[in-house]
Amino acid sequence: MRINLWIAIGMSFLLLGLAACAALNNGLDLPARHPSAADLGEVPKKCTNCHEARGEKLAFGAFVHNATWMQNHRQQAYQNEQVCAMCHQTSFCNDCHATGTELKSSLKNQSETYRQMPHRGDYLSRHRIDGRIDPTSCFRCHGNPKAAKTCAPCHG
Amino acid sequence: MSILPCSGGSMRMTDRLGWFLGLVCFFAVGLPLSASAAELSFQSDTIFRSFSRDPATESDAAVFPAYEYLQVDIETPEEPGLAFHLYGWGRADVADNDYFTETTGGELVYGYLEFSGEQARFNARLGRQYVFEGVANESIDGLRLSSDLGKYFSGSVYAGQPVALSEENGRGGDSIYGARVANHLVGKYDLGISYKKINSDGEDAGETAGIDLSAYLPGGVNLFGYSTYNLEYDGWGEHSYELRFNLGSTTIRPYFQKFQYADYFGIAGGTVNPFGLLVAGDEELTVLGTDLTVPVGDSWVLVGKAKHYDYQQLDDSSQYFAMQGTWTSEENNQIGGEIGVMNGDTAQTKYTMVRLFTYQDHMPDGCPLGFFSSDLVYVSYDQEIYGEDSSLFISLASGKKFMEDALEVKISGDYSKDPYFDEDVRGMLILSYHFDHAL
Repeated sequence: MRINLWIAIGMSFLLLGLAACAALNNGLDLPARHPSAADLGEVPKKCTNCHEARGEKLAFGAFVHNATWMQNHRQQAYQNEQVCAMCHQTSFCNDCHATGTELKSSLKNQSETYRQMPHRGDYLSRHRIDGRIDPTSCFRCHGNPKAAKTCAPCHG
Repeated sequence: MSILPCSGGSMRMTDRLGWFLGLVCFFAVGLPLSASAAELSFQSDTIFRSFSRDPATESDAAVFPAYEYLQVDIETPEEPGLAFHLYGWGRADVADNDYFTETTGGELVYGYLEFSGEQARFNARLGRQYVFEGVANESIDGLRLSSDLGKYFSGSVYAGQPVALSEENGRGGDSIYGARVANHLVGKYDLGISYKKINSDGEDAGETAGIDLSAYLPGGVNLFGYSTYNLEYDGWGEHSYELRFNLGSTTIRPYFQKFQYADYFGIAGGTVNPFGLLVAGDEELTVLGTDLTVPVGDSWVLVGKAKHYDYQQLDDSSQYFAMQGTWTSEENNQIGGEIGVMNGDTAQTKYTMVRLFTYQDHMPDGCPLGFFSSDLVYVSYDQEIYGEDSSLFISLASGKKFMEDALEVKISGDYSKDPYFDEDVRGMLILSYHFDHAL
């Protein structure tokens, strides 16, 4: 309990610090929205076509959506949510990352085959194997009581 | 054919729907009064599905669920200030034949008021929202604040109630709070320290600290890493680190992960099934792998994947290998495929998977369709599952836009033959409507 108290006090100071330092602009503001295809005259396909891989405002090279981006964007999202938000509404993330969506993303976005979503097809059978090989990947999304309701009919 | 009934949403749909619609009306009417050049963005996806199942009361019963996914955003896209964001879904079981536990279901995924300041990327969000940062991957009903803290630091704090615990003994005594502080030098590194504490019904339900790191090293080598520490179990749960660099046009991504099961899965108040049993063991999983991404010409991208799993207690290992190829035309039409082999430690954990897909975004002149896509997934299992040693899934979809692209109609059909279904045929119709309106 005492630890929680110290944490609460620490967070209060952090909050006050946030308010006090909010005036200290770091001069690296990114736009809230990336220019659209209409503004640019072309569909933006790859960050580094226009930006330096290690630009002054951002290491753009780390955000290139290459063929393995679907499986490997966790780090960028956890550190740079604001960059994701320049092009994606949160609902885009919530198609996969949410505590309560009845339709899995590969079903809701059935026609978007190019996204190569991991739970495509008969994942009900395949998850028996993937879950034994590496249960940590299941836990990230199904590790809370609400999301684990999809596991409950079989796993109790 | 047999499948367990889906556990439909147990929320009180009418109560929440009223709250949901009330919020939409309140902000749709009220917010523009205080926000000049605001825009209203509205997206509706209405989905009709059709398939056959065996609920408790009958066999081969037709199931017709209808879904509505609704998204509303009110904001001034190019300027700081107030904004409102809302996204939710509802479902009605039209056939009402006991396949779903509840005839109706739904969820407010998020609904929050946002203020963005002119200075230091100050941002405040109030309401139901997702928090993705550091050790947080949580839906909360609460407040989140973030800001730059001078040139080299940034920070964020959040507090509220965790949505994930809302259906366990009510919401009394449920709380979540956390923070992340980051030190960064743009283009050099970004180092974050984060903390998260969850209480369920007044009891501890998770306390985690973490470190996240991006470092842009000499020679074009990027290092990304992430570690979490379970403060309840007093141990490191996860270490995940990877390098990314190019050799010519080839991108190489070697990575390393280590999971201590007791600390990764352990939650003092009880870990949900089926993960609870994993806490009791003392297993340690180490994963080593590499991805190679090789562009070939202007149109082809080839990917090779290799992954090695090592289990300390089991004293065994598994491997996964895959090759993937994708061809993309200038018009963004795509054809691709993947073949993957899971070589598990037992016959029960071995399979070979083949996937082929197409997506034609630009149809030939004169074709009445707007796009066409197809997908095939075939999996061969080393050991039979319910008497079947393979599964086949085929999906075809097409659609067209109308009303100056504001309305898109998509239709798809699936066929599956697998260990759980002798034959399963499913249909889906999606009506997507979008409009933007200056307020």
